[in-house]
Amino acid sequence: MEQIGVILLAGLTNGSVYGLVGLSISLIYGTNRVINFAQGEFVMLGVMSAILFMVTCALPLLPAIAAVLGVVLVAALALEFGVYQPLLRRGAPPLTIMIGTLAAAIIATGAALLVWGPLQLYVPNVLPLEAMRVGPLITNPQQIAIIVVFAALLALTWFLLYRTRFGLCIRATGVNARVALLMGIRSRRIVRFGFLFSALISGIVGLLVGPLLGGQVGMGVTLTVKGFMAAILGGLGSPFAAAAGGVLIALVEALVAGYGSSLYAEPIIFALILMILFFRPYGLLGDFEAGRH
Amino acid sequence: MNRIHALGTGIWQIPLLILLAGLVVPHLLSSGFHLRLASIVCIYTILCVGFNLLYGYAGQISMGQQGFFALGAYAYALLTQAGWPFYAALPASLLVCAGVTLVIGVPLLRLRSHYLAMASLCFGLIFAGVASRWIDVTGGTAGMMVPSLKVAGHLVSRTELYYGLVVIAVAVLLLQNFIVGTHLGRVLYSLRGDETAAESLGVNVTAYKLRVFVLSSVLAGLAGVGFALVSRQVNPSFGEFPILVTILTVSVVGGLGTRYGALLGAIVVVLAPQGLTAFGDLETLLYGVCLLLFLLFMPHGLSGFLRALCLRLFRPAAAKPAPRLKVSP
Repeated sequence: MEQIGVILLAGLTNGSVYGLVGLSISLIYGTNRVINFAQGEFVMLGVMSAILFMVTCALPLLPAIAAVLGVVLVAALALEFGVYQPLLRRGAPPLTIMIGTLAAAIIATGAALLVWGPLQLYVPNVLPLEAMRVGPLITNPQQIAIIVVFAALLALTWFLLYRTRFGLCIRATGVNARVALLMGIRSRRIVRFGFLFSALISGIVGLLVGPLLGGQVGMGVTLTVKGFMAAILGGLGSPFAAAAGGVLIALVEALVAGYGSSLYAEPIIFALILMILFFRPYGLLGDFEAGRH
Repeated sequence: MNRIHALGTGIWQIPLLILLAGLVVPHLLSSGFHLRLASIVCIYTILCVGFNLLYGYAGQISMGQQGFFALGAYAYALLTQAGWPFYAALPASLLVCAGVTLVIGVPLLRLRSHYLAMASLCFGLIFAGVASRWIDVTGGTAGMMVPSLKVAGHLVSRTELYYGLVVIAVAVLLLQNFIVGTHLGRVLYSLRGDETAAESLGVNVTAYKLRVFVLSSVLAGLAGVGFALVSRQVNPSFGEFPILVTILTVSVVGGLGTRYGALLGAIVVVLAPQGLTAFGDLETLLYGVCLLLFLLFMPHGLSGFLRALCLRLFRPAAAKPAPRLKVSP
């Protein structure tokens, strides 16, 4: 009982991270049909700039958090104006733009390498890491904060998408950008919002997950791949399906690692995803997209 | 045929020139390191011709080509370890690649665009994961040694190996030109354009997708065997992310859906980092910036750029009957 509790809690924590990255990827995909290969780099930038502002510059907590989110938002704007817009103007298909975001990810890693170097760095924790008991479970405030933030951001995204006029515009753009434009929705702004909002989410993820993962400039790729797998497993069409996919992946990963061997956790996950895709080509919850083809 | 001749790019003329140039190269090189680079250019050409047929011509993206690259290399290494001679191990490892592709290709090719990309990426990741963890068979992260190539009792030197690679690369280019120049090429174009329309015109979409997928992964496996022979070892890095990035970069820099894009891209991508190492820490950053600049300003890669240049220079002379030049995207 003790063990399964710990395993599930660890899975849920990782799942929140994968789920939020998957949610970000799916949000951008929902507005412009582009998969952002640089999503994990936003998390990396969040982690690394937390080190910069909290340790190197020793800013107080709130200004430091604001500065971190500022860095991530600037990076999102750079991605939109430097990569997405120019490629779109030249009529590039979505898969080419995806390769463009891959180039952006390499650039972000390269730039971060210049600033922070290749070594693993200590990341300051916003919340204490001491063990505490919640009922039968042993956990720490950082872990709980990640899960709570995950739930809160999910709720916020749901509210935004389904309870506001703006959310209606986002969903309309997702269904058909051209028709939405003809209906007077400024789809460009929607796309920009998608980039900014998902970067913000990733920045918050970076702030929270840094102390658990440690800061290293190459950490982005792994997170991007896990986020993708989450989005693909759940279904790219809906942010919530993507988040659910992330939780599922992390839970399976934690269970395999806990009861089998952690060595084979990753290959087993990918094999499972591959098999699920054979039976549900648009993801577990991806009926919406299937209908559009 | 008229149109093809008008462009001066028949099926065999340019590959012949490439063959001659490739055979001259070793006489101009001074060190073994340069010879190694030239061999790697050939290997990347073979690998990326496969990717180009699959994505550039048929529009089916696979991000698992590095998996087949590593699969070919590992199959060859394991078979040679089991005592198989070269002429049996090479076809056998290609058959392994083809077999695996057939098995995973049938369900995989039901997927489209991003889903296909991610599912094939899954395959690549599984392969890299297993290769680095199944230590008893694959040697783990350290990999395995591949003995120097011996054909009929004769120990093949690095230069001879290079000649072999050049000949294979040119043969692969010829095969690609043949496919693209015949009705097969039209079928592949139609798959990229619109599968439903292709099907309504009588194209067996599933069969052709599977064929081109098998061909491209066999070429990836062939390149993998070549790389194993040149490096004299295999290790899990063969199947990891950087190789995928290299494939994408070669294809984008050279030009997707062009005949000699793979070769041009391979030359640039192999040689450019030699210049970039001078920049030290800036290397990764510059690599990314260059990739982005190519995407932005040469959407058809070097190949498209050169073609546009040739057309601008020579068009006035060839203006008489002016066959309409269809520049493939």
